[in-house]
Amino acid sequence: MRSIYAKALWDQRRSLPAWAGALSALVLLESAMWPWMADMPDFDAYLQDFPPAMREMFSLEEMTTGQGFLNAELFSLVLPMLLIVFGITHGARMVAGEEQAGTLDLLLVTPLTTTRLLLEELAALVTGVALLGLAVLASTLAGTAAFGLGITAGAAFSGSLAITLLGIELGAVALVAGALTGRRGVAIGVASAVGLAAYVLYIAGVFVEELASWQGLTPFDQALHEGPLSPGLPATYLWLVLGTAVVGLAALPLWARRDIGAHT
Amino acid sequence: MEHAVRTTGLTKRFGDHVVLGDLDLLVPAGCVFGYLGPNGAGKTTTIKLLAGLWRATSGRAEVLGVDVAADRDGVQGRIGYLPGDFAGYPDMTGRQLVGLLGALRGGTDWASVTVLAERFDLDLDKRMGTLSHGNRRKVGIVQAFMGHPELLVLDEPTQGLDPLMQREFLALLGEVRDEGRTVLLSSHVLSEVEAVADVVGILDQGRLLATRSMAQLHADAVRRVDLRFEHDPPVDALRAAAGVRRVDVVGTTVHVSVAGSMADLFRAAAPHGVSSATTHETDLADLFLGFYERGEPSDAQHLRQGAVGPAA
Repeated sequence: MRSIYAKALWDQRRSLPAWAGALSALVLLESAMWPWMADMPDFDAYLQDFPPAMREMFSLEEMTTGQGFLNAELFSLVLPMLLIVFGITHGARMVAGEEQAGTLDLLLVTPLTTTRLLLEELAALVTGVALLGLAVLASTLAGTAAFGLGITAGAAFSGSLAITLLGIELGAVALVAGALTGRRGVAIGVASAVGLAAYVLYIAGVFVEELASWQGLTPFDQALHEGPLSPGLPATYLWLVLGTAVVGLAALPLWARRDIGAHT
Repeated sequence: MEHAVRTTGLTKRFGDHVVLGDLDLLVPAGCVFGYLGPNGAGKTTTIKLLAGLWRATSGRAEVLGVDVAADRDGVQGRIGYLPGDFAGYPDMTGRQLVGLLGALRGGTDWASVTVLAERFDLDLDKRMGTLSHGNRRKVGIVQAFMGHPELLVLDEPTQGLDPLMQREFLALLGEVRDEGRTVLLSSHVLSEVEAVADVVGILDQGRLLATRSMAQLHADAVRRVDLRFEHDPPVDALRAAAGVRRVDVVGTTVHVSVAGSMADLFRAAAPHGVSSATTHETDLADLFLGFYERGEPSDAQHLRQGAVGPAA
């Protein structure tokens, strides 16, 4: 370990393989169900019984294709939530966890600047979530090859990237909230509240006509509105990247003025 | 550079609560400075401010001639630091921690790490979570002293060390001083720093009461001694002896507080048949009772006696 980045990745040495394995297994199991679903008679008629808003939310219309099936079953809720949970718990641990354990003092009483520390932690968070995204991508490609879901490599990449960027953005919120408060619990609470509010707005936009114009503001809409498994890369992904950058950069001046360990 | 640490009007407030008020502290370069005070006096606050971890509400702190607020990272790269609550990472070995902190400082001085680990009989390859409190503390000492920093800032460094290691540690401090480097160590127990400190600063309730050389302190210190007599104690003769501040009689036993030398007291007591004499460690409250009773400017009357335990 020769840097904060390396140390932060080393801290994920057990959780990362476990998460990657579990996510891959989930994707492969779900894919394995596709051949039965595809053979189910009257599947279309069954889907028509769902309320229109729900059909839109989970793209149920498209559930008769392999891509639509995985979108509805995993990529529009379960996988985003799992990557967000990983992002938030790890982001909260990175600075606030160190601070509460009393180890942040040691890292900072060196020529290392507070700015550099936060950016290296953020880079490690991005790396961790991106590796999970890669595991999802690999297992999706393996699943579609093995069980004939007919998902293109481009669509698999786009979908995996969407949920990765979501996990990173909310993880960054937790990282920054932890750096600004020095408390892991607060960091998890703030990031979860932000995530929940964004999700509620996203869902409300589907049901309530008046809120539809606001929907584009939520990271969930930015990431998921095209599928997220779909050919092509929606430009709205850039908002997720921008959001992460703004959250990180806005925190830097405040973070540099914090009294480390003063309130824990 | 005449002073390793110089603060002027250094103040830290949390809301309305003043944890450190208007501190003017001078730590001469090349000495061991004992920073004494009861728990909660503001020792750790001072150390966090000097290490650049906290920002002063007002005032200025210069460390190694550099303004901490202006070049925090420059200062942090030149000091060795041991926090009072040093725990390290339970899942890392001492070697991994030292390697990481060394890398952040631009390269680990493994030669000095090896020497320190051998000296303190520390196994660097054990995970810190499996180490005893004292051994974890040694990892903290190694990381603070490695690479020969110009100034060592140590918050209650001897906590949890067994007496043998404590002695070794104090010897190490002496060597650091002899190399012309500076040590600032905090403690709430005088006897810990007595053996090694050249200069002592005493802090209470966020205010510096006095800075004294160890020699001055010894001359001024008020000590307590219990004398048991074979017959009735010669109370008046004891009261008249030089340096005696206070005499309390309980049966044939007399509790006496003496400032400075006890020679005159023992001369007065000896002819009356002393059957036993017990001296007590000087604690901080007693120490400053001396300043107070001679009318020197001091806030010793406010010193919370209860918070200052006798030396362990």
